[in-house]
Amino acid sequence: MRRGILAFGLFVGVMALVPAFVQNAFVLRIVTELFMWIVLAITWDVMAGYAGYLNFGHGAFFGAGAYVTAILMMRYGWPFFVTLPVAGLFAGVAAFLAGIPTLRLKGAYFAIATWALALAVQQLALVLDITGGPDGMRLPPFLDPVFFFYLILAVAVATFLLLWVLLEWAPFGLKLKSIREDESGAMALGLNPARIKVQAFILSAVPAGVLGGIYAFWITFIDPASVLADIITDQAMVMAVFGGLGTLLGPVIGAIIVFSFKTIFWAYLSDYQVLYLIILGGGIALTVVFLPNGIWGTIIGHIQGRNALHKGMSLNMPPGRSPVQGADVND
Amino acid sequence: MLLLPQALVDGLLIGGIYITIAIGFSLAYGVMHIIDFAVGEWIMLGAFLGLYLSQWTQMEPLLLLPVVFIVFGVLGYLFQPVIYRVLSGKKGNPLLMALVFTFGLAIAFKGLGLTVFGFFSRSIPSAMAANSFTFVKGDFFVTIPVIRLIGLVYAIGVTLVLSWILKRTDFGLAIQALAQNKEAAGLMGISAKKTNSWVYGIYVGISAMSGVLIGCMFSISAQMGSKYTVLSFFVVVLAGMGFLAGVPWAAFLLGMVQSFFLIYFDPGYTLLAVFIILYTVLLISPKGLFGKGV
Amino acid sequence: MTEPILRVDGIVKTFGGLHAVNDVSFDVGKGMIVGLIGPNGAGKTTIFNVISGYYAPTRGKVFFKGSDISGLPPYKLAKMGIGRTFQVVKPFPGLSVLENVMVAALCKHPRKHDARQHAWEILEFTGLASRADDAAASLTLPGRKRLEISKALALEPELLLLDEVVAGLNPTEADRTIELILKLRDQGISILVVEHIMRVIMNISDQVVVLNFGQQIALGKPVEVARDPVVIEAYLGEEAA
Ligand SMILES: Nc1ncnc2c1ncn2[C@@H]1O[C@H](COP(=O)(O)OP(=O)(O)OP(=O)(O)O)[C@@H](O)[C@H]1O
Ligand SMILES: [Mg+2]
Repeated sequence: MRRGILAFGLFVGVMALVPAFVQNAFVLRIVTELFMWIVLAITWDVMAGYAGYLNFGHGAFFGAGAYVTAILMMRYGWPFFVTLPVAGLFAGVAAFLAGIPTLRLKGAYFAIATWALALAVQQLALVLDITGGPDGMRLPPFLDPVFFFYLILAVAVATFLLLWVLLEWAPFGLKLKSIREDESGAMALGLNPARIKVQAFILSAVPAGVLGGIYAFWITFIDPASVLADIITDQAMVMAVFGGLGTLLGPVIGAIIVFSFKTIFWAYLSDYQVLYLIILGGGIALTVVFLPNGIWGTIIGHIQGRNALHKGMSLNMPPGRSPVQGADVND
Repeated sequence: MLLLPQALVDGLLIGGIYITIAIGFSLAYGVMHIIDFAVGEWIMLGAFLGLYLSQWTQMEPLLLLPVVFIVFGVLGYLFQPVIYRVLSGKKGNPLLMALVFTFGLAIAFKGLGLTVFGFFSRSIPSAMAANSFTFVKGDFFVTIPVIRLIGLVYAIGVTLVLSWILKRTDFGLAIQALAQNKEAAGLMGISAKKTNSWVYGIYVGISAMSGVLIGCMFSISAQMGSKYTVLSFFVVVLAGMGFLAGVPWAAFLLGMVQSFFLIYFDPGYTLLAVFIILYTVLLISPKGLFGKGV
Repeated sequence: MTEPILRVDGIVKTFGGLHAVNDVSFDVGKGMIVGLIGPNGAGKTTIFNVISGYYAPTRGKVFFKGSDISGLPPYKLAKMGIGRTFQVVKPFPGLSVLENVMVAALCKHPRKHDARQHAWEILEFTGLASRADDAAASLTLPGRKRLEISKALALEPELLLLDEVVAGLNPTEADRTIELILKLRDQGISILVVEHIMRVIMNISDQVVVLNFGQQIALGKPVEVARDPVVIEAYLGEEAA
């Protein structure tokens, strides 16, 4: 653990120095964006990896945050920094309201409801006046890449630390995992699953909302096709699954790999953008089939051998039985 | 007020098409217990196959429905073992992973669609599209486009054939046994693997066929998938997951919502209304309108 | 007489038309072991589910230390001091044995460090300490049953509901578990225990409740119940035959 903290500090320190050495605006932008994706991937994993629920509408929190900041700044003249807590709060309240009916139910309902929520939010942004409809919104240009680099780095570090404290250090993560493993069994031990899952959902939504707010100011133009695009959730999900669900480092590693790939792909094959979707979708399907624990999960599995099963590698079910069969383990 | 009969009839006609999609989907859910997030993409791919086939052969697209069914039926049949493999996986959380898997498929299919078919909207030219009946009685009038009527007849036909298969054939009994209890069905000598493949094939084939009909009535594009996925979910959740008898009612309700928004409000609000209804049902009666879902 | 820890008062639980439990009433006094027996499908597990909050009773009431707890959710009851095991064991397969027990220990020890300490003590007491770091999925049935007890104990309950924790164990293991149950009783925990094995129930129970088809057909001391002709016909006779 001490080594982990050291490595983390070192990593953040090195990253903080990047703007001093990298003058190239494009590269700085790429690194900034990478941190954004890391946040989206780890927050998506809170629900998928720790709670066992698939959120297909994660991008809606990001987009909603972007719109909150844009609307407050442009329509009400709020200063940028004051809008960020509101963006986070808005995402959190949305998660609370959407989570209450759906998180009581089986995972499939939650997946469907979040998917429908994302579509509804897209539609809402298209038809409302205050969001500018399909024309989107333009924000005052604030062209300071270094400012945004540090801001997003700070959000990423804060989010990572927050999740680490809550999910790995404090009891909350253990409670969440036990609910993922057996919800009705967890109830007998004093846990209120509905409440804990909604808390986790809010936890995953708030950072995404704040990030969306920053993104709007950074990019200076938002519309439903950009900040509410399906691809945001899709990509965060691929990153988390590819890296390994139920760990904090897995999605980070997944984000780094997938985002690097995306950047290279975009740079050299920008004429074939839609091909990227095929690779993304095909990649996630293949990962599920051949590498269900993701890269990091598989690596840990090898390092720790059989012990990997319980070292927070999550999602491991008893051999030979799957919840699909509905039978309880009782050999 | 004058448009009310038209709105009702439209709703009925539109609803028909959702019945077939949702019944196939429910069937697949019943035996495999997973939600297929690629349902809208199967519809999209089927629609485009219909479009290209009819352009190539210069034949009436409606006559090509069986071809589309067979092509996609075979595809689904061949595809299912992969899903089965994920579902019976020993690592990870198979149920979650199966959802991720079908979601990945949906993304890949969408990418495939965009790559091959481009971003534009198209429609499938059917000879039936131009004709319609009009009934006038006093101030009221109702127009029934022939193609939509065919859609409803098709929906009823598919539903009847499926319910006949389910109730009257050994294969249907095997499906029901599997849906109720996997272990017991296994003891009865029913191969879950085989039956699953067949059901998945039938479901994919029906979805693709329905795509062709949708293409004859509305427009199609490579991006249409997610909309139809959500609409399918809507019907299935409203009906009660796995409760087939509820499907037609939920489908007609969806048809009504769509036609009322088209005629009386702004169609841009349709998906919002769909979400609000879905959310309300989940809040009040998560097992569907009839309380009989799982 | 002091107030009983648990009072079950006229409980009825129906599933559709089936009366799984039909008008059952009994008390569990402080520090007592009460046995609940009956043939398969008699409604024993259903009573457990009603007492522990998994089902709301169709009719009747459950009192815990004098207050009406009927219909309260399981997690509230667990916090109030009712621990239960599951006949069909419910381990958290992907978590370690220690973590499994820690989850329960968190109920009374909100800090993770304290919960871990307490969980260790429980594991040592129940004899699972050597498996603490293994995945719960790797335990065999006896281990899993022991884990069930450990988790329920980690709640530091005043009332413990044990659903067939001895069934399926070999004689040595069974004896160890019985010893464990008696030790718990000596610590002052009140216990309601479901078991098919007569020898077990008759030896350890202060009181026995006999169910048949959801009906309560006898209530009393083990010796009295064992002599009751109705019971012999319904249940013991079947065993003897
Ligand atoms: N959730 C349920 N839905 C419908 N019926 C149920 C349910 N739970 C139990 N039953 C029925 O209630 C009756 C009592 O079951 P219960 O599990 O309480 O019996 P039991 O005494 O614990 O039996 P065993 O010794 O086999 O564990 C049985 O007929 C059972 O089929
Ligand atoms: Mg029982």
